[in-house]
Amino acid sequence: MSWKKAGTEARLLLVGIPVALWSAFPIYHIFLFAISSKDSAFSGALWPAQPTLRNFGAVFKQEHFFLYHFWQQMWNSLWIAATVGFLTLLIATCAAFAISRLRVRGGRLVMNAALFTYFIPAAFLAVPMYKAMSVYGLLNSSWSLVLAMVTLASPYAIWVLKQASDKLPWELDEAARIDGATPMQLFRLVYLPLMLPSLVAIGTYALLLAWNEYLYAFLLLSKETNVTLAVALGHFLSADDSPWELLMATGLLYGLPPAAIYYVFRRYMVGGLTAGAVKA
Amino acid sequence: MASVHFRDVRKSFGATEILHGVSLDIADGEFVVLVGPSGCGKSTLLRMLAGLEEVTRGEIAIDDRVVNEVDSKDRDIAMVFQSYALYPHMTVRENMGFSLRLRKAERAIVDERVGRAAQILNLQAYLERYPRELSGGQRQRVAMGRAIVRDPKVFLFDEPLSNLDAKLRVAMRAEIKALHQRLKTTTVYVTHDQVEAMTMADRIAVMNEGRIEQLGEPLALYDRPANLFVAEFIGSPAMNLLDARLRRSDGAAWVELAGARWALAAGAPGADGQQVKVGVRPEHLRLGAEGLAGEVVVVEPTGAGTELVVQCDGASLTVVVHGRSGARPGDRVLLAPGPDHVHLFDASSGARL
Ligand SMILES: Nc1ncnc2c1ncn2[C@@H]1O[C@H](COP(=O)(O)OP(=O)(O)OP(=O)(O)O)[C@@H](O)[C@H]1O
Ligand SMILES: [Mg+2]
Repeated sequence: MSWKKAGTEARLLLVGIPVALWSAFPIYHIFLFAISSKDSAFSGALWPAQPTLRNFGAVFKQEHFFLYHFWQQMWNSLWIAATVGFLTLLIATCAAFAISRLRVRGGRLVMNAALFTYFIPAAFLAVPMYKAMSVYGLLNSSWSLVLAMVTLASPYAIWVLKQASDKLPWELDEAARIDGATPMQLFRLVYLPLMLPSLVAIGTYALLLAWNEYLYAFLLLSKETNVTLAVALGHFLSADDSPWELLMATGLLYGLPPAAIYYVFRRYMVGGLTAGAVKA
Repeated sequence: MASVHFRDVRKSFGATEILHGVSLDIADGEFVVLVGPSGCGKSTLLRMLAGLEEVTRGEIAIDDRVVNEVDSKDRDIAMVFQSYALYPHMTVRENMGFSLRLRKAERAIVDERVGRAAQILNLQAYLERYPRELSGGQRQRVAMGRAIVRDPKVFLFDEPLSNLDAKLRVAMRAEIKALHQRLKTTTVYVTHDQVEAMTMADRIAVMNEGRIEQLGEPLALYDRPANLFVAEFIGSPAMNLLDARLRRSDGAAWVELAGARWALAAGAPGADGQQVKVGVRPEHLRLGAEGLAGEVVVVEPTGAGTELVVQCDGASLTVVVHGRSGARPGDRVLLAPGPDHVHLFDASSGARL
């Protein structure tokens, strides 16, 4: 390695290490709380004198007023997030295919409308959405949150998938048509496999959007048994002496599924799947 | 196998018409090459036959069936794209068998047909590979294999060789030609390379600006170009073209140009005093004792022959001499063609006299 290269690397490290520490510190802090007993939580030590897993046990066994429905709420979060991811993907993929590959009329209008919705902050729409759901009689049903989140996630998903679709070589569609493919076969046998990386990315985006959502979940759901974990975590703060160590333990558990999803789908998110299709 | 008929076919994109009435009949089993400069509309014509572009006016028929309104997939044609357009997520085997799979052909039949195509194209060793793991030439062959497996009525090629290097291009040219001789499938082949056209075609259609300028066998086009455009386009190096005046008296005919005169064959057409364009192919110009005076400016030995560029009174002529030439840059020479090898074109219309 040349001196110049070593110098560049050293400088990158000089920036990189503080940034890494800066981002990791809050997580470490949560972790620290989660493995401390109630009395030692605020000691300020970098490592608790007697680290314990009791907090996690308490969460799993639902041994606290705030945790009576932990598993139910975890399930609510999972179910809602997965359904939102699936529905958003379904809608956005069909829309992108129709607009980009089948070139249906009005496609531009849909794209412009999709972009336009991003000028309106989601928080702005919270109350109208609440009103709409109450008209539909969906308040307090998970479907209200699912529908709301799909509505919020779809425009962006359509936009991104349409852009990704446009990058697929047009000749592939023509070759498939000449080979005898119907639009449905084109969609299933050529389009979907080639869009897989974008689909995974967008599905994950919608899923995490729903998983992390607080405001809408808080508004639309109110029964202890049907709120999501995000809302349940918020409830901890309503008490005067919140059980911080339990809050942090629950928080850590709440952070695990996204991490797992990222880990599983990581390899799909790399591009390069179209390599070799057409000579660039 | 099938014949193909274009009947006064027109194509407009928006308000601009880019094909102005093309008529062309292609016989069963024939290999026809559409050749022309970039933008002349040859791809568009081919894509209309493939069903990828709408026909604005006129009629396209495969055998007796007008296909204007028939979907690509029901035309029973196969097309090889310039970019190959292989499905990147399928292996070579899956790529080649895709069309049969869509037709719900039996597994055994697909395997058999793919195997046979792979054998013809020497692809057996690559059947389980993905397109990205192949070289350009191999991808090209897979694209052809995909077409062969179909056993279609008509093969369409749109500049299938232009992404290959020169050597591979020559090899693939021969392969496609051999394939055609073996399968005898009607073929329409688009290229802008006149050498490809000359070497492969049964008949060539030379296109320019949305029209067919001339249709004929390669050597007929070479020997008797119908107009200035074809004269310049076909042949390499290109035909020399000069302004001249046609003279005739006492049964003899000649052209006058820049103070020199070139004799013409006895039966030469045209009227005395007519302004013409004279065309002579580089290999038909001789350095001799009389003729048009000029100065050699470039000498390019190609091995088998020598190419000279001779500057004559404002015009620059190319001469191809068989074997080696003693000429040096700066030499003063006299150029004359054999009388049977002079092409005459009307100076204003450009049509052959
Ligand atoms: N989709 C389109 N919309 C508008 N104009 C088009 C379209 N496709 C082709 N053209 C125009 O039609 C003309 C003929 O195009 P075409 O692709 O047939 O040319 P070509 O002879 O194949 O040329 P090349 O050798 O460069 O491929 C060109 O002037 C081109 O700009
Ligand atoms: Mg073209």
